[in-house]
Amino acid sequence: MAGRRVLVSGMGGDLGSRVAVLLEAEPWVGSLVGIDVDPPRRRLDRAVFHRLEPGLHDRIVDIVTSFNPHVVVHIAVWEPFSRATPAVAERLTDEAATSILGAAAECRALESVVVRSGIEIYGRARGSATRPDEDAPIDPTSGYGRQLAGIERTAAAIGQRIGVAVSALRSGTVLGPHVPSPLGRLLRMPAFPFSVIADPPFAVVEDTAAARAFVVAARDQLDQPVNVVASGGITALQAARRGRRVPIPLIGPEWRFATMLSAILGAPVPDHIVEMLHRGRLADNSRMRELLGFVPEASTVEVIDRLYRWPSVVRVPARQAAA
Amino acid sequence: MAADVGAAVARVIPLPVGRAIGAVQEQAADVAKRLVPFGSWTVDDWGRDATLVDAFVMASRLRWSIVVGGDQRLPARNGALIVVNARRLALAPVLAALALTDATGRPVRFVGRPDTAPLGALARRLGGLLARPDELTGALRAGELVVLGSASVIHPRRVGRVDHRLLAPSVATRTKVFPAAVATSPLGRGARLEIGNDVRPDRRRRGPLAELELADEVERRIQRLLGELGGTKTGTPLDWLPLSGMGGN
Repeated sequence: MAGRRVLVSGMGGDLGSRVAVLLEAEPWVGSLVGIDVDPPRRRLDRAVFHRLEPGLHDRIVDIVTSFNPHVVVHIAVWEPFSRATPAVAERLTDEAATSILGAAAECRALESVVVRSGIEIYGRARGSATRPDEDAPIDPTSGYGRQLAGIERTAAAIGQRIGVAVSALRSGTVLGPHVPSPLGRLLRMPAFPFSVIADPPFAVVEDTAAARAFVVAARDQLDQPVNVVASGGITALQAARRGRRVPIPLIGPEWRFATMLSAILGAPVPDHIVEMLHRGRLADNSRMRELLGFVPEASTVEVIDRLYRWPSVVRVPARQAAA
Repeated sequence: MAADVGAAVARVIPLPVGRAIGAVQEQAADVAKRLVPFGSWTVDDWGRDATLVDAFVMASRLRWSIVVGGDQRLPARNGALIVVNARRLALAPVLAALALTDATGRPVRFVGRPDTAPLGALARRLGGLLARPDELTGALRAGELVVLGSASVIHPRRVGRVDHRLLAPSVATRTKVFPAAVATSPLGRGARLEIGNDVRPDRRRRGPLAELELADEVERRIQRLLGELGGTKTGTPLDWLPLSGMGGN
């Protein structure tokens, strides 16, 4: 088991760099290579990082095939309005999935693939399950959900074709002090809207728990999807009360105006978040303990409480004083 | 300097205005303390709001004086499916879920909420689940108590069909199924919920016959419970009058 070669796509982002830090500490990881369009946000000691655009297929294929990984952890997913507009996010996600997973499929040593997905994949169509488990039908009803379904399809096709274990970690909205989350941004605004006639509950997950899930799935070479969400749920109105924000009750047609205003004020709201505020987003995390051996310690309510306590700017001191 | 001295004196000697403000503050704090339980609502994994359910349980006592029997048969920790008869427009599953929440102290959910706001949202806060087998499976697997209504009928002492597809989750998760009879009156306050022993199929089936036979047996058992409960008025009109000194109905 020791001496595994692990490739992490999306290592530059908050979640990717957190996963890389955890992988560096794992005894079974021999060498670690990362690819992303942005440099890593954390200090890494062992990992080798390649800063590449996802569209550079040939360069990516060269790097991946020469590294010949045993395990691929694909985290290169752009949530709309996290770091890119929905159109750009969709293009980057699609390109990264095609080039990185495609290149990984050419590697002889490949044994397992872990991809980042989300509970948006289940969709929130009328009559859909309140708390879908991993067996629920995939029926995305938002742009981000369709993006994630595309990644899972690509990974599953590769797994079937070359016979490797493929696992999709379907996480709730990932929140953390440095995670560029449109939901986190919205909830930290001094005032934000909520649906007064529905105010449905949703579940989130803290970045530390999500990162741990990736490491465990990679170590155990999981070969099935698993929901990664914190226990419990919270509604937008309850979040506003806990964060001492002003909840703005909306009924229907004024949502368009509210989301436009929110975008102008610095917190653009993508369609999957609007859907979440209208229809809720929960998921059954009972299989997490069985497959990954843990459930997140922080409940959804605790993660939201922490969201309001996280400082806006975190200053990281230098390791060595500059001369 | 003089202002500082004045402020210090004001802190030591309670002025009438200060006392009045203090009294108002105390009153406000007292009111706020009473309102805290209503202002810190949280929802569980399915969106059920325990505080709102408690409020509805209290409100339901204004309308019904419900007596629950047989609740000691329900498991203390594990999940169970309780199937009740449903009269048209009587919301028997909701009533049964509220009554059992009060009687057992455990969160009890009911199947059959709509998925349209605002009714669906309110029903979800009260513990409503969609009438989908996968939704029910998740709840039973998590060890929840769930109330399922039969098809609604007009006659108060008849049982409608029990949807065998919604019993499949109990078979899959090996959860006990309890028949229960609800007797309410459209005019009076008296109501009764009687839970019977859990239903165990006579034969083991490998296929969907297990659910079908279970549904039939549950229907029969609810009908029997209803017969044992009697109606709101039984016997001849003369029997209703307390003439014999032995009571009456």
